[in-house]
Amino acid sequence: MSLNALRIIWRVTRLNFRAQLEYRSEFLMMIAIGAIWQVSVIVFATVLLSRFTGMGGWDSSDVLLIPATRMLAHALFVLFLGRMHGVGRHIQEGRIDTYLVRPMPVHRQVQLEFFPTNAIGDMTVAVGLMVGALSRSQLDWTAGRITYLIACLIGGMLLEAAMFTVVASASLRFPAADYWSRWLEELLGTFGSYPLNVLPRAVGGFLTFGLPLAFVAYFPAAVLTGHGDSTGVPYWLAAASPLLGALAYLGARLLWRWSLGHYTGVNG
Amino acid sequence: MSGSIEVRGLSRTFHTTVRRPGFLGGVRSLVNPERVAKEAVCDISFDVAPGELLALLGPNGAGKSTTIKMLTGILTPTAGEARVAGVVPYEERERNARNIGAVFGQRTQLWWDLPVRESFSILRDIYEVPKAEHAARLKEFDELLALSSFWDTRVRHLSLGQRVRSDMAAALLHDPPVVFLDEPTIGMDVVVKEQVREFLRHQVEERGRTVLLTTHDMTEVERLAERVVLINHGRLVLDGTLDEIRRKFGSTWQVRATLADPHTPVEPLPGITLLRREGPQVVFGPDGPTAPTVHQALKQVIERYEVTDIALDEAELEDVMRAAYVQSEVRVEDRAGGA
Amino acid sequence: MAVLSAWRVARVTPLGELHTPPRMTAALLRLTVQIVLVASLWRGLYHATGTTAGLDRDQAVTYAVLAVLASRVRELDQYSGRDTVLQHMHFGTIVYWYLRPLPPQRYYALRALGEQVYGFAWALAGYAVCLAAGVVRPPGSAAVAGVFALSLLLGQLVMYYVMLVIDQLCFWTLRNGAAIMILIFAQNLLSGVYAPLWFFPDWFITLSAFLPFQATLSVPLSLYVGRIPLSDAGFQLAVQAGWVVVLALFTRLLWRRAARRVISQGG
Repeated sequence: MSLNALRIIWRVTRLNFRAQLEYRSEFLMMIAIGAIWQVSVIVFATVLLSRFTGMGGWDSSDVLLIPATRMLAHALFVLFLGRMHGVGRHIQEGRIDTYLVRPMPVHRQVQLEFFPTNAIGDMTVAVGLMVGALSRSQLDWTAGRITYLIACLIGGMLLEAAMFTVVASASLRFPAADYWSRWLEELLGTFGSYPLNVLPRAVGGFLTFGLPLAFVAYFPAAVLTGHGDSTGVPYWLAAASPLLGALAYLGARLLWRWSLGHYTGVNG
Repeated sequence: MSGSIEVRGLSRTFHTTVRRPGFLGGVRSLVNPERVAKEAVCDISFDVAPGELLALLGPNGAGKSTTIKMLTGILTPTAGEARVAGVVPYEERERNARNIGAVFGQRTQLWWDLPVRESFSILRDIYEVPKAEHAARLKEFDELLALSSFWDTRVRHLSLGQRVRSDMAAALLHDPPVVFLDEPTIGMDVVVKEQVREFLRHQVEERGRTVLLTTHDMTEVERLAERVVLINHGRLVLDGTLDEIRRKFGSTWQVRATLADPHTPVEPLPGITLLRREGPQVVFGPDGPTAPTVHQALKQVIERYEVTDIALDEAELEDVMRAAYVQSEVRVEDRAGGA
Repeated sequence: MAVLSAWRVARVTPLGELHTPPRMTAALLRLTVQIVLVASLWRGLYHATGTTAGLDRDQAVTYAVLAVLASRVRELDQYSGRDTVLQHMHFGTIVYWYLRPLPPQRYYALRALGEQVYGFAWALAGYAVCLAAGVVRPPGSAAVAGVFALSLLLGQLVMYYVMLVIDQLCFWTLRNGAAIMILIFAQNLLSGVYAPLWFFPDWFITLSAFLPFQATLSVPLSLYVGRIPLSDAGFQLAVQAGWVVVLALFTRLLWRRAARRVISQGG
């Protein structure tokens, strides 16, 4: 990416932020609702942990690391790569066709569609939760552990982006596939925050190899807290989560490029 | 079925928020927005007789859509009054709804996920049209618009032309005496355009519907409308027939005649001036406000002189309208300057 | 005639679904996977715990599965039909709602009714399968079943009004897609879809008692699993009915203001 491209991204992002300010009532409402939301998410995450201590043989301070990792990775995803959700709608409205004739990668144009005001809320909650989890943690946070955690956060962000990019690629062929992106988001939100070894093996296997949810937060947290041997997969696989996230994202982008090449448009 | 439209002194002012430039300006607008008033439509009066097709013309942003919205009852005027088939539309919206049909450009009122015919059935029941009557009208529309080739297709899979034809039918299925069409043929190919025009002509001439149409397509105006109302900057500029408009703004016709005897002396005729003479070829043009139409001029020239060949260059309606828009622009500026 | 148009409008959603079999297959798949996941999650969570927050394992699993089924009632892919208020505002087609001799509020109510009845059929079928498979427990007694049915009906009414308020917001804030997502999240959290409200701290339960969300699902489901005893049922039903009245009046006011807004701005 050239310096000029970065400059354009920065300018468009600033313009997008201003555009959000244009809709006065919505901007203010988003902030107000965001505040309510933050409280309820933290309540939700901590409630289950305090009710079910020793979940999956984990100490509850260790378990807290799972939702914290998952939410921070998600917040990063929403901020930097989150616009892939709406691709199905762009396609139906023919906006993709306009993107295709502009001299900028379509993927980047989709990302620069609007400024995600809600990411501010997501980020605040996630950072708060992570600070809480780290302060309760009894682990020795060495430089190595911290580096690994950061790598996992980036890997988790890329993995989530990869999943949504795959759905977006499918939407290029079948615009109705957008339906799955909402389900995907719901599944990630609902099942991303637990040690998955509480689930039956088959279900856990589905959330590992069918939908690679386990690699976002569960495996990284297991490796960090010393539960890496009891996850049901080889230790090296669990430990390689950040790398897998990067590979998945790369693969998804290739798929996206291939799908764009085979895009035939909608409604003639 | 008396579908007249009466408009008296209709006005509409909108209030909008201005955004200040720059990032700080954006934040300031958020805290303390600045509001300005804009007159979209200002003191417009005109009538449309039952069974008449009137084209409402004007450049983009002239106030055409705002006027149509007030006449359909989805916008209340700030001043003035309108009656559509005897009903004040914005006061009795539902009663007015039964008397009118409307198509707004490319916006469809059909149900996206259902076959077209299902949308027709839903509308039939909403408007309480008896089944037999509905079937008969659908058959009539099918003959004119060839709907049956695609009416079992879901709306999301229709082409634009198919969708607009369906929308046109949907708007007229309940037999409304008055029809409003806001740029109905925008973006359609020539074949579909002609089909829709034919349909409209049939609805006006055979069914006696009153139609108020806005369009930017001058061919459409020439084919369909006898009378036009021209507005600009929300004000009425002209209300008259196409001929009147041509006479007023389209003073650019030329009659080119080749005289049998190149030595005949040529003098100006009433309202007609001699523009050029090159040997046997003479060129006449209109002269002053009493100038005849190009067809009358042609007749006069032939009666007066012996000619071996005659040709005429008539100004295209599009050129006439351009002249009209530009002149009305000047007039509005004058008024603004004088006030 | 009015009955006819009501029937026509109400069946728009089911008909649209029937015309798109892939969507129905997707819904079936999604519902199945969701139930399997939710049931195994709660079984797993209870693995090392006996009774917590007054709910034992079977009660919690029954509650969670019923919550998934009940939320199916109004969780259709409405966007694909392009008939949401948000989309009509976006495409400018909202004008047609105000150009018909059918008041927009009645049109909306009929569409929602059709949608909810259709969704209910799905939920009922899912319930029968889950009951047969032993995933959920049957209601404790005939009286519990009756009170639950009544409470569910009231809950659906409250749900309808909550969704209506969310949709009505679109008349004022054009691009509130994200706000809607957050409100739906609040609805899911505070109605007990994600986790029974009984697990939450007292202050949270007190707070949600003043909000309409728990009247949609938490109350009927708690009655079903016996977490709210029959002796308290009368009060809870009265609260639900109260919310129905309050929200009905509020949304009526909003409809009137929405119409005024459309009419002053022209859609």
